[in-house]
Amino acid sequence: MSLDVETLEDGALACRIAAAGPRLDAAAEAELCRRLAPRVRLYGLRHLRDPHAAHDLVQQVLLMTLERLRDGRLREPERIVSFVLGMCRMVVLEIRRGSWRREKLLATYGDTAEAVEPPEPLALDAHKLAACVEALAERERTVVVLTFFADKSGDEVARELGLTAGNVRVIRHRAIARLRGCMGGDAT
Amino acid sequence: MTGARCAEPIEFEALVAYWVGELPAAAEAPIEQHFFGCAHCARRVEELAALASGIRAAVRSGAVQAVITQPCLETMRRQGMRIREYRLAPGERVACTIRADDDAVVGRLQAPLAGVKRVDALHSLDFGDGQVQQWRAEDLPFDASTGEVLSLPSAVALKRSPAHTFCVRLLAVDESGERPLGEYTFAHTPS
Repeated sequence: MSLDVETLEDGALACRIAAAGPRLDAAAEAELCRRLAPRVRLYGLRHLRDPHAAHDLVQQVLLMTLERLRDGRLREPERIVSFVLGMCRMVVLEIRRGSWRREKLLATYGDTAEAVEPPEPLALDAHKLAACVEALAERERTVVVLTFFADKSGDEVARELGLTAGNVRVIRHRAIARLRGCMGGDAT
Repeated sequence: MTGARCAEPIEFEALVAYWVGELPAAAEAPIEQHFFGCAHCARRVEELAALASGIRAAVRSGAVQAVITQPCLETMRRQGMRIREYRLAPGERVACTIRADDDAVVGRLQAPLAGVKRVDALHSLDFGDGQVQQWRAEDLPFDASTGEVLSLPSAVALKRSPAHTFCVRLLAVDESGERPLGEYTFAHTPS
């Protein structure tokens, strides 16, 4: 990876890719994908709640983005971030409607799908995390289990535990801060 | 952005609310717009996602012990977890075990919870070697309307454990002191 692409802003990288056109600026493309893939994957995880679907979203969105940049079909490459977010929203809507098929992606882009293989997601030390969860107070542990295992909102957790939603959010906030501190992260 | 620290980072609490789907769409949009253009905040969302994923995996693998709720238990079943349940009335004793193919064991401790403000639990663990471990868990979460406290012990720890007797004494606690709600005994033998 050349150092110069690492110092460029996202928009400047996109402009370089667009300027290269069919000659391809591999370094700029790789750097842009390296930066955007985790964000697209997070969007996918948040809206689809499925790691495989999030992985497919990364490939679909980044391939379409690179293709449009190379072809000069993206009118304002310096606004690449807004474009990618818009693509994420559109593809997730398609997936929800059931009108998106992985086969369509493969048929359009073939093996190049592998070119934007997303980086491995951040993974925490499982033993350390289990010990940190164990160290929480009883209510805190229950609230994080209901929140992250059972995918419950604060209102739902409150209903199940006979608490107020505000109380649940306070407990949840404290529990997450303690977990982050225990795992060695920034607890603020 | 190239990874520099963010001048105006999104509050972590707002990121949590976003991640668990508590925000209206109008409030989600600016958060997404921000972290898509901000490597620093994207990294914080990724940290949150890793925490959520790690906790999911820990519960599925039986590494977590916690008091849970009936809807959470149903979620575990929907996710294909094999769960062994023991339902105990106050004063009851049950012979119990965990098999290699069980993902979890849940103890349903029935108790008169109406009007109770706080529940503590006194635990005692006896391996029959003359040394009894005792500890107190304070302020257990519970839904009084169900008349039960659902206890999920660590399946990982149980599978490694030799035969033992585990006793739970639930206490109602308020300003005037504490009173027993029930005592429950699990006589565990390895499968």
